[in-house]
Amino acid sequence: MNESGNGPGNRPRGEAAGVDGSVAVAACAVTKTYANGVRAVRGVDLEVPPGEIRAVVGENGAGKSTLMKMFYGLEQPTSGEIIVGGRSRTLRGPASAIALGVGMVHQNLMLVPSFTVAQNVVLGVEPGRRGLVDARAAVETTARLAAESGLAVDPKARVDEVSVGMRQRTEILKALHRKARVLILDEPTAVLTPQETEDLFAAVRRLRDGGMTVLFISHKLREVREISDKVSVMRAGSLVGTVATADATERSLAAMMVGRDLSLDVGRTPARPTEVTLRVRDLAYEAATGQSLSEIAFDVAAGEVVGVAGIEGNGQSELAEILAGLRRPTVGSIRVGGTDTAGLDVAGHRRAGIGYVPEDRLHNGAALDESIADNLVVDRHDRPPLARRGVLHPRAVRAHAERLIDEYAIRTPDPSVPVRSLSGGNMQKVIVARELSAGPRLLIASQVTRGVDIGAMRFMYERLVAARDAGAAVLLISADLTELLALSDRLLVLKDGRLVGRFDDTAALTEKHVGLYMLGVEHHDREQLVAGLDDAGEAPAA
Amino acid sequence: MTTAPTTRVEREDRREYRATRRRDLAVDLSMTLATILAALAIGFLVMLLTGNDPVQAYEAMLTGPLDRSFRVGRWLEDATTLTLLGLSVAIPFRARQISLGAESQVYAGALAAATVAIFLPLPPVAAVVVPMVAAATAGAGMGFVPGAMKARLGANEIVATLMLNAIVVRVYDYLVNGPLKEPGSSAVHSKSIQQDSVLTPLTEWFGIPLGRANVGLFLMLLTAVALWLLITRTPLGYRIRMTGSNPDFAEYGGIRVPRAIEWSFVIGGAVAGLAGAHLVQGVYGRLEPGLAGSLAFEGIVVALLARNNPLVVVVAGLFYSYLRAGGDIMEQQTDVGTEIVVVIQAVIVLLVTAQALPDLLKRRIARRQRRQPIQGDAR
Repeated sequence: MNESGNGPGNRPRGEAAGVDGSVAVAACAVTKTYANGVRAVRGVDLEVPPGEIRAVVGENGAGKSTLMKMFYGLEQPTSGEIIVGGRSRTLRGPASAIALGVGMVHQNLMLVPSFTVAQNVVLGVEPGRRGLVDARAAVETTARLAAESGLAVDPKARVDEVSVGMRQRTEILKALHRKARVLILDEPTAVLTPQETEDLFAAVRRLRDGGMTVLFISHKLREVREISDKVSVMRAGSLVGTVATADATERSLAAMMVGRDLSLDVGRTPARPTEVTLRVRDLAYEAATGQSLSEIAFDVAAGEVVGVAGIEGNGQSELAEILAGLRRPTVGSIRVGGTDTAGLDVAGHRRAGIGYVPEDRLHNGAALDESIADNLVVDRHDRPPLARRGVLHPRAVRAHAERLIDEYAIRTPDPSVPVRSLSGGNMQKVIVARELSAGPRLLIASQVTRGVDIGAMRFMYERLVAARDAGAAVLLISADLTELLALSDRLLVLKDGRLVGRFDDTAALTEKHVGLYMLGVEHHDREQLVAGLDDAGEAPAA
Repeated sequence: MTTAPTTRVEREDRREYRATRRRDLAVDLSMTLATILAALAIGFLVMLLTGNDPVQAYEAMLTGPLDRSFRVGRWLEDATTLTLLGLSVAIPFRARQISLGAESQVYAGALAAATVAIFLPLPPVAAVVVPMVAAATAGAGMGFVPGAMKARLGANEIVATLMLNAIVVRVYDYLVNGPLKEPGSSAVHSKSIQQDSVLTPLTEWFGIPLGRANVGLFLMLLTAVALWLLITRTPLGYRIRMTGSNPDFAEYGGIRVPRAIEWSFVIGGAVAGLAGAHLVQGVYGRLEPGLAGSLAFEGIVVALLARNNPLVVVVAGLFYSYLRAGGDIMEQQTDVGTEIVVVIQAVIVLLVTAQALPDLLKRRIARRQRRQPIQGDAR
């Protein structure tokens, strides 16, 4: 199956044949229907010439990931043709795609954590002979590729000890080592700081100038505008159109994506914070694995959104789970509206009025094989109106689900649909609907728009602001600085499990400035971090 | 926030979802039927190869159990125990707990029921009910031990239930061979239970000989309905389902997962205990060595066949018992041994529990059905 005849002389067959110039990759009337009945891609014609950075944007569930998977051989089209290197191909798996020079860097990086960067780069195509791997050649190859492409890595470092950015560069080098001529980047910037993103873009441009074709999947229209030559927009499985990036604005792209005019600017009035709802003092947490926390102290008042910035893995997950009751702090006091929650179980936290949108909705945000209706009642399944005298009323559960589906615009044919079959944005709406409809006093929203389309994103933003205006204290934890700056009334920065920055006014903040704190280049001193907090010592006796 | 108007795509998806659901159900049902036929065909071949007459054997096996009324009785009596045991593991299975403890629970239940029914003089109705309550309690206790070990101490529930089985079965054997053995009897069994404690035989109700089948059958049906209601209509059932579906989600939602796990073991144990009471009060009228036979483990098969849905467990239990009864008759009437029934049962179990097969078929059908309309769209 390893066809390698991809000479430029071969004209593409089918409809693409009439186009001038060669085509690096193309889809020709491609349709993909999954076994569960989801029609992910509907008759898409897409052509990408060599040496172009082509952004593919679209809402979640628009079919862009599926299309990319078909280019990479992970999925096969139900009908239509995939054209690589000028000829129609049947890609039975990633191996045939790689043989044809197509490389893909996935959203969730796929590296061997205990191997070094160099070992990962050469994995599968190791230099050496007679079954022995030439370790030195591997390091040299990696270093050479890194120097050529401008993707700085330390070839000898173990992957589990390097930053996410370097891991991603390792993935790209891996594709280069396999002689990729077409590189598919699936949401590459989701895990990067602004500085790392800039470096990545510089490297990608350099690859393009060397003749590489890059397919860049993203939700972030600003980045798309910055990096791409042309943008292809997908909506509901179809290709809406392809425009030159120079002619597009974020607004026009967003309008194409959702089919109507839409921007992410939520009209946010200044916060009117009232009394302190969440009060954290001297919090420390010893983690067996993961990030420990120390000396955490902050307040969140009712009616304000406090953002928590930081590179992922610096203690945000631990902080959120402690506040939600899923982990026990080692020391420190946490009070939510006068209730000391440090010793309570999860149900106790929920009774105290804490809502939590978890960062990984697939892990613990939903029971994927259960219905939407059942997923919406996990915190209230044992009390009226859903249950009375020990009996759970399915009709009440269904009515409750129908109300929330309507109220939160969850797109589903029926409340009995298992959550697994929903798109990322709709799944997140189920979770947000559940947490917000409980009327929380404190809402912890962790990565609330991760992997969510722009329509749902705007929806989440509006809901968070509405919850704030209704008097909830909102702690917004996100890896997306744009989002944090757009929504936060105040901003905290976590680094290595400590608070290193506190900005009480976010109006004039720039992403770059916050990035310096995230990277540890700058930090605020203790006085500024605890300024205005009442008695940082022990909690008042109950 | 306004609700977006339904688009053409959405209506299409809704129609497709409904169609897919209907088709999946049809595929599931016809697959089950096809599986049974395939298993019978394999049995047919095996009999041919071993030089037997398959037609005669199948006639005996498939019509035998309905041939005479007392054979029907034997089938129903066996199905009652088997279904109760299937129900008893289906509940922990719903909480995704691999409980293999039905054996210890059924013997504990039998012991408790027999002890009360033999030694405790009680007024008429209580004489039936109290031993059964004792049996359910003993079974629940036997469920609680591994359940608590799993939930509180993190013990592996498979190991815990198997070890408990080993202990309880030995204790049972000892008691039946020793302290509870009927004095002066040469055979190994206990004294008979008091007449008031006997579950009324169906023979008395219908006036035709129905062997040892008894009102326990209706008790079993009630239990199945009660468990179905428990799973679908109570907060505890919801907690058990969510714990089984995604324990991390259950915990995040404020469900105390260890409690849900314990309860699933306790409820399952109580039902297995009832199966023990049925054996003592309805079938044998006394304790006999190994009175549950292999039923405890075949209950697991029944639960798996029914995908742990209590109502379907009844159907699966009746079907599975029918095969067992038919196999016995086949062995009596022809040269073919019950081994062939074991082969047929095993093939059915393999095919039904292998979910990949129906899923594969669904995918095939989906692909074939969609090809045409889509090409219409793409044009």
